[in-house]
Amino acid sequence: MKHMDEILASIHQIPPFPQVVVKAMEIISNPQYIVSDLVEVIRLDQSITANILKLCNSAYFGLPRKVSSLKEAVVYLGTIQLRQVLLASGAKDIYDRPEKGYSYFVGELWQHAIACALMSQVLARHLRLPLDENSIYTAALLHDVGKVVLSTYVSQEFAEIEMIVKEEKLSFHDAERRVLGFDHAEIGGRLAELWKFPDSIVAAIRFHHEPEKSPKTFRLLSELIALSDGLVLMVGYGTSVDGLSYHVPHLLVDKLKLKKNDIEALMMEFQEEMDKAQEMIDVKDVL
Amino acid sequence: MAKITIGIADMKASDDSADILTTYCLGSCIGLSLYDPVAKVGGILHYMLPSDSINPLKGERKPYMFGSTGIPRLFKACYQLGAEKKRLIVKVAGGGQVMNEGGMFNIGKRNYAFLRKILWKNNVMIDAESIGGSNNRTMYLRLSDGQVMVKLSREEMVLL
Repeated sequence: MKHMDEILASIHQIPPFPQVVVKAMEIISNPQYIVSDLVEVIRLDQSITANILKLCNSAYFGLPRKVSSLKEAVVYLGTIQLRQVLLASGAKDIYDRPEKGYSYFVGELWQHAIACALMSQVLARHLRLPLDENSIYTAALLHDVGKVVLSTYVSQEFAEIEMIVKEEKLSFHDAERRVLGFDHAEIGGRLAELWKFPDSIVAAIRFHHEPEKSPKTFRLLSELIALSDGLVLMVGYGTSVDGLSYHVPHLLVDKLKLKKNDIEALMMEFQEEMDKAQEMIDVKDVL
Repeated sequence: MAKITIGIADMKASDDSADILTTYCLGSCIGLSLYDPVAKVGGILHYMLPSDSINPLKGERKPYMFGSTGIPRLFKACYQLGAEKKRLIVKVAGGGQVMNEGGMFNIGKRNYAFLRKILWKNNVMIDAESIGGSNNRTMYLRLSDGQVMVKLSREEMVLL
């Protein structure tokens, strides 16, 4: 059995969260930031720059005309969307790893992450949850980052995890815990800590399969990410080896007294958003 | 040979026997495949929710999102390409479930129940199916011979 600390100690092989994104986020957190400062920082990373332009020109962001320079993109997008594009682009770098592990194909984890980000926004909006939009987006995008680590380090144990899920009808993260001593949510939380994300994000990642254990201050965010993750899996975004082998935490459903029809209506809203985002996530390339 | 992908809440039909229709990401959704072996016409619908009764406007705008609006359209699309009802071979995949007890998240089951009901009302039999469990599925329909293959998460591809 590999210990989590052992894995975390050798984590230098896991890509760090793109520093360009971290710095750019810092800059835009100042409401009076100077556009050229931001452009200078982002420009240092070609792949992020290319991602931003591509995402910015996708139907999802619906800009009135094609944007070809980074500066224009920054000006057009505005702070909220810019933050989303930066994060989405950073997450793409992390998730699109060649290791198979959880995924059947490269891009799948990112597709699931984007779907979860859209679902959590739909839920937060419709259910009027008093949560900060940035935290929601960040936590949703990064909730499965632990799978990237596990795909790299424990690929050999996958067969055993899968067998336990199949034969004992255990949920996937329980099986991970049985075989590895920890699960992808736990190691994801540790990684987010190392990346110095705020405690709310760390908690939402750490507890996305058991939000009831989340510290009270961050519980609502954890519950939201947990429910979004579950609903998105049901719709089919995240066709990884773990399939639907999870219990979807329903604290939020109970708390808000949601009915079956409410759930269906939310899934419907989400799918419309996702249709708009398809171009952004290049699902056709992925499949 | 053309590989045609049917997305979530999507439907495609074809009469080109060189085509292979594929739909990925069947979680609680239903993949419905029709094939007429004489006309060599077939199609796949990938719907998400049983009925547009929760929002008929959306049913008009996104008919393939729902069984109620998508299923009749799939049949019609195949008829338009020359398929005949009595020859249609009907195969179904999907309707997966998360592991929760109780009914709140049983959309897979409801999707499947809806399909059974509408097919039964119209005297259409299901010839083969791969339904339920906590699986994701991918469904393939080869138009040259109507062969339907299903790949379950964690398992090998099977012939349906």
